[in-house]
Amino acid sequence: MSQTSAKKTRLKVVRGILIAALLFFTLFPAYWMMSSAFDARAGSGNQGIVPAEFTLDNFIYVINDGGFGVFLRNSVIVAFATVLISAVLALLASVAVARFKFKFRTGILLMILVVQMVPLEALVIPLFVQVRDLQLLNTLLGLVIVYVAISLPFGIWMLRGFVAAVPVELEEAAYLDGASWWRMFRSVMLPLVMPGLVATSVFSFITAWNEFIFAMTMLQGSTENYTVAIGLKQFFGEHSNEWGYVMAASTLITIPVMIFFILVQGKLSSGLVAGAVKG
Amino acid sequence: MSKLVSPAAVPGTLGSGAAGGPPRRNRARTVLAARPWLLLAPALFVLAVLLLWPLIRVVLFSFQDYGLREIVSGKTNFNGGANYLEAITNPQLWSVVLPNTVVFAVAAVAGTVIFGTLVALLMSSLGKTWRTIVGSAIMVAWAMPAVTGTYVWIWIFDADNGIVNKLLMGAGLMDEPFNWFTNRWSFYAIVLINVIHHGFPFVAITVLAGLLGVNKEMLEAAEMDGAGPFRRFFQIIFPSLKQVFTVVIILSTIWDFKIFSQVYLMPGGGGSNREVLNLGVWSYVESFGQNRYGFGSAIAVLLTLVLLVITIIYIRALMKEDEL
Repeated sequence: MSQTSAKKTRLKVVRGILIAALLFFTLFPAYWMMSSAFDARAGSGNQGIVPAEFTLDNFIYVINDGGFGVFLRNSVIVAFATVLISAVLALLASVAVARFKFKFRTGILLMILVVQMVPLEALVIPLFVQVRDLQLLNTLLGLVIVYVAISLPFGIWMLRGFVAAVPVELEEAAYLDGASWWRMFRSVMLPLVMPGLVATSVFSFITAWNEFIFAMTMLQGSTENYTVAIGLKQFFGEHSNEWGYVMAASTLITIPVMIFFILVQGKLSSGLVAGAVKG
Repeated sequence: MSKLVSPAAVPGTLGSGAAGGPPRRNRARTVLAARPWLLLAPALFVLAVLLLWPLIRVVLFSFQDYGLREIVSGKTNFNGGANYLEAITNPQLWSVVLPNTVVFAVAAVAGTVIFGTLVALLMSSLGKTWRTIVGSAIMVAWAMPAVTGTYVWIWIFDADNGIVNKLLMGAGLMDEPFNWFTNRWSFYAIVLINVIHHGFPFVAITVLAGLLGVNKEMLEAAEMDGAGPFRRFFQIIFPSLKQVFTVVIILSTIWDFKIFSQVYLMPGGGGSNREVLNLGVWSYVESFGQNRYGFGSAIAVLLTLVLLVITIIYIRALMKEDEL
């Protein structure tokens, strides 16, 4: 009896240590980022584990002098435009592939799956040429177009699971009540796929917010058009405690994403399970 | 591909939504047949113009001596397979670039999947409160964008004032600061930590969702019969989550083969230290650094081919479950 309880205590201690180590590994980078952002001595060589000289100067500098406010605004515009356009396109397409049987349906699904796997490094060269030909280099519109294309396949793939889960009987009941297809779509389908739409939107928001390679390639002109992902580079070089600036800017970039993830935590995992695991 | 968009190509197959509809015959039937294509048209247009056509173009570029002049003039300049020949005969491809890409991807996938699974197993043994705490911490790691995450890890390992060097020196393990970024192995060790940190939450959350569906009675019975944790995992949990693991492994493989910013942004990773090049970064620096878009395209095509093979395996794994 005492042997098993001793074993249980040992198990609890081991589990406690494992949890502590895991929490440290997952949280330390975020902690260190914020700690450096709020520390006047960040990057100077005598920064402590806790900010010894608490300051907001790093944030004030990156927003006012570093132009980070403009980068944030650009990223917000690009991200919301991407979310809006790709959500509409993905929803329409997912209804088509989940609700209708038609020729080439499997072919289209396969194509969507395959283009999803294409590395951005392979697309960046031809898309750079294409966007250049359209004279959309150094514009936010050019970036939005690219981000919609990148996030669309995953959006269709994920939403079709949600659309397929809406019972056909509900649709048929709407028809029998004399509703038109569009009316059925708005009042039966849309409310039921809303969780999927939220999860898809989070993914396209994050794609647009975090994307680096296209932003770096297509926004090579003035910093006026920079998004946050490449705006960060501005804070390297001239100043001795640049790490305070970089970490303050990183904090500003990360917080909206963290808020998003925490808000949709439940929907995100159910979306992943429906979209990624089941197919 | 664009011919697929044409509604005329579709015979009058009925959508399931029409099953209960009134019998209005031919015209209604044509409208119904066109409907999926009308719904698909905008998305297919975007995918065709912005993903498929560029994909064809990068292959066309890869067979040309495509530089700045060709970009500006729009002229073609085919040179056969010279770009591929140059890439394949480049000793750096075999000694540096390919190992950096493949060995790293294998290590990162193994690390991400094993670590993520262990975290999922740990989480499944926790009560509600602690599971929520650990789950939220995982969300924080997941939410950190790759670019900012990479900068944070660079700062943590910074040669001059990074906390790792300071702690190691403070503990007397090192006499002077070590530059982790100049050595190929320590460079990729940092990339590995970064990628695992960013990638394991997806694995942990997905596997946990699967674990919660595993038959508890079977596990308890196995424990009663004296099966240790390893046997319980490999004989009960793993077989029932095979599908989950297949998808998680293949998705991680695809992601880890094409890591870019995590390497490009690190000191020396943008092409100045050729020892740490991988396929993606090599393609990019040849294209946009040297204006050798044709050669860069050939490298990009090689990377795509590698990924295509993995994708086919992925699709086949899914097809077995007849999900399409």
